[in-house]
Amino acid sequence: MSTIAPKFKFSEFVKSLIDNIFWIIVIATLVGLPLIMIALFYVDLPVIDGTLVTPFLALTWLSHPEVALPLVKSFMTSDMFRIMAFPGFGFAALMAAGTIFIERKMLAKMQLRVGPFYCGKIEGILQLMGDGLKLISKEIIIPAKADKPLFIAAPLLFVGAAAAFVALIPVAPGWVVADVDVGLLAVFAVIGFFPIITVLSAWSANSKFPFIGGIRALYQMVSFEIPLILSCLGVVILTGTLNLSEIAASQSVVPWIVFMPIGAIVFFICMLAELERIPFDLPEAESEIVAGWLTEFSGMMYGLVQLGSYVKLYAFSALFVLLFLGGWSGPEFWPPLEQELLEDGQTIGPISLQFPGLPLFSQEFFSAVIWFVLKTMGVMFFVLLPRGVFPRIRIDMLLQIGWYKLITLAFVNIFVALGLVYAGVIGPGGMF
Amino acid sequence: MRMSNIAKQIAPGLALQKVDERIMTLNVGPQHPGSGHMRIIVQIDGDKIVACDPDPGYVHRGEEKMAEYRNYIQNIPHLERPVIHDSCNILYPYCLATEEILHIEVPERAKYVRVIAAELNRCVYTLYWLAIYGIFLGHSTMFMWPTGDRELLIDLLEKMTGARVTHAYFVPGGVRNDLPANFEDVCLRQVDYFEKRIRAYADIFYDNPILISRTRDAGTLSRQDAVRLGTTGSVLRASGVDYDIRKKEPYDCYDSLDFETSVLKSGDAYARSKVPWLDMLESCRIIRDALSKMPQSGSVRVKLKPNPKGDEMTSYKRVESGRGTLGCYVVSDGKPEPYRVKMSVGSFRNLISLPYLLKGEKLGNMPAVYWSLNYWPVEADR
Amino acid sequence: MADQVPATSGDAPPADTPPEPAALPELDTGLRSKLESGLGDAVKVASATPGRIHIDVNSKDVVRVAEFVRDELGFDHAESVTGVDRPADSEIEVVYHLGSYTRPELGGYVMAISTRAPRQDNPDPGNDSTRLPTLREVFYSVEFHEREAFEMLGVYFDGHPDNRRLLLPEDWADLPPMRKDFAIKGR
Repeated sequence: MSTIAPKFKFSEFVKSLIDNIFWIIVIATLVGLPLIMIALFYVDLPVIDGTLVTPFLALTWLSHPEVALPLVKSFMTSDMFRIMAFPGFGFAALMAAGTIFIERKMLAKMQLRVGPFYCGKIEGILQLMGDGLKLISKEIIIPAKADKPLFIAAPLLFVGAAAAFVALIPVAPGWVVADVDVGLLAVFAVIGFFPIITVLSAWSANSKFPFIGGIRALYQMVSFEIPLILSCLGVVILTGTLNLSEIAASQSVVPWIVFMPIGAIVFFICMLAELERIPFDLPEAESEIVAGWLTEFSGMMYGLVQLGSYVKLYAFSALFVLLFLGGWSGPEFWPPLEQELLEDGQTIGPISLQFPGLPLFSQEFFSAVIWFVLKTMGVMFFVLLPRGVFPRIRIDMLLQIGWYKLITLAFVNIFVALGLVYAGVIGPGGMF
Repeated sequence: MRMSNIAKQIAPGLALQKVDERIMTLNVGPQHPGSGHMRIIVQIDGDKIVACDPDPGYVHRGEEKMAEYRNYIQNIPHLERPVIHDSCNILYPYCLATEEILHIEVPERAKYVRVIAAELNRCVYTLYWLAIYGIFLGHSTMFMWPTGDRELLIDLLEKMTGARVTHAYFVPGGVRNDLPANFEDVCLRQVDYFEKRIRAYADIFYDNPILISRTRDAGTLSRQDAVRLGTTGSVLRASGVDYDIRKKEPYDCYDSLDFETSVLKSGDAYARSKVPWLDMLESCRIIRDALSKMPQSGSVRVKLKPNPKGDEMTSYKRVESGRGTLGCYVVSDGKPEPYRVKMSVGSFRNLISLPYLLKGEKLGNMPAVYWSLNYWPVEADR
Repeated sequence: MADQVPATSGDAPPADTPPEPAALPELDTGLRSKLESGLGDAVKVASATPGRIHIDVNSKDVVRVAEFVRDELGFDHAESVTGVDRPADSEIEVVYHLGSYTRPELGGYVMAISTRAPRQDNPDPGNDSTRLPTLREVFYSVEFHEREAFEMLGVYFDGHPDNRRLLLPEDWADLPPMRKDFAIKGR
């Protein structure tokens, strides 16, 4: 006997299902189909292989793999797919969701508890979805004296900036939304938006605790951006390029962390500070300033900021991987497929299978993505780890670390890089 | 009619003060994750606290007034309410004072049972306090570990008293019921494991470099000031004053037990957070010692007639609770109800040092200093 | 257990009469004689048991007595300040419990200084004659305790720098609640 719905009747359930289906069909027929017809009247339909692709034809193709797969493949090369799904925001959001799940379970294990457990049968894997639904269904409360346009725009801007950051991250050779020659500079330009957004949202909330939190975030991010940029400079000196894809490709033999451990450590610490992770979560220090600059956010506005911050976490970890851990390079998981398999298809006994368009992606791509994701997860793990070990630091100690120690170390790292170049270890005639 | 001429008093925080434009007034609490059930009005200049005004009273429940309307036995369940995590210790001085007024001699076994219950309860309280200290400093593991380890001792106390937190175990004349069978073995085993667990806290918390750098020299209370401000308990002992009621004025069987008081010299937030932890280790020692010295049989309670009446006298008794000296002043006028019950609680006495300690500190140090006072808002308000 | 019924009861005389006050330890008698020789008529010892001494002091002399107790006897802090309403005497008693941290031999010793203020049936806290001199200049630690006594019993402490509300709500507009004529509903 179910205790959740004690008056549950199966017949009623079936009836409700049928009702829903009925109304969906009715509404789709009466509203949806006319709308599609009206839209089709204005839309120019594409011509593929000399055939006009009508909706009917497109639907027919979808049921034929030999036609559908090239379509899918061509869609996968489109910019829309890259921005929305794979190297872009969709992939980043998926990674962020995975990170949240791993963070909660890992933290729970460290703290001798179980963590999310019931939602989704297997170890609470759907907990995040439940939390998301809760956040969506919550009321959004905007303070009466807030600067409303700015206040509403702030979470969107935050997610937008995080997505822009993700757009610059190459995941596999050629798989990047925006392959710009000044990729690293563009990354720092995007990072520079975060303190502005934070301060704007804190200011627009017109409340004391967000204000203090925003000012703290400003201090923290601005003062840690300098060692962050300086620590990347060593890599730029060694590779001679700002393009992130080229930087990653340059480490096919040895990742730069071998030559520049100091730079990697400085970059990692700055990363923690930029991400507002413990022990540097001062802008959100709850026992001092409630939730810092997030105090007045409610419902999905808060959820968007959280999403943005985890997407940012993914992007920073990926940047660390690209700069210091060799990006996607690594031994191949699976040997490349034989050429005849690709051309003639698979023959098993009397049956011969051949699908033009298969495989959808090459084995190199597959291997690169796996390596990239594994390395990124590894870095994320170390980003999440301090949360279970360290208490929060104080703002004056934080700024001291940023301005004295990290900048000095970053300069040491630059001199190490310069020394490597002048000694001839790296560069023309050198080892790599 | 009499309500009309009550003087208009300006409440703290409502007073409009002419302050510098640089200075921002923050209401930390009562709806604030870093305040407990009280409000701390903090004025900051940038990141520096220039003035601080604690405003307790959000959980004032008039326990002392209620005690005047109930007889000595009826008072037991509600007088423990201010600190339900330390309910044995907060009832202890009331029971001692009532026993003096009613001229009751407590049986020998009951004295040991009381001491065991009181020490277990001190650990339960201290773990709860430590958990909150952890989360105040942003250390979530230190929140979860003590909260989980508390369950060990809560289970023990549940075996003893039948309730998980509000035990109402001490009564004038002994304890409410005897120990269950086989309690000694279970207790020893749990306490051994518990001691192993709390020793592990040093690795993750007390030896943590970030914690040390944050709490060292934060809110330093010198020995002279600790005495002058009349602080008590861990705050006092962290400032180098060796003062523990269990040693100075041993009640029940503490004079026959083997333990030491934990005293640290530096007087900063780190020392204040460490003294209760050292006390817990001593508590384990006391429990083991008391278990070995406890008479194996005998009465644990003197039966009283219903509605006992005391002599016309006063009694002031003190015990050492988890938060310091806990005194209870009972005035009897020969009726079944006490004429006046006053609880002198450690939290309230330590609160006076908060404005003194926070002045000139960084805002980030506020939770570290505030909660290191071993302050329990509900107890302070009574 | 049952054979010990009843150790005490108010109605019947106690089965065993309370033991005669034992001879006080030397420390107690020494303190008492010092008190009486130093202050003379200003103090009246109400009761003395081992570790406790309770003295009654006129409100005029309380500051002088407190200073003597602090400087000569070594009591350095106040543990609590208790207000006791005595409507029968039309007085409000305020009891200071003093202890000592600096002198180890006094660690287990508590001195109670009791003083009385006139009580008014129609109180106007802060403005009526229910006043006492504050001991904050003598014992800094009484600051919050005296604030509590002021709001709970309406005893205004002259010279206290901060006679504000502490525990009561900001909009409390009734009698001081610890007075006996403030009755709890239903009791």
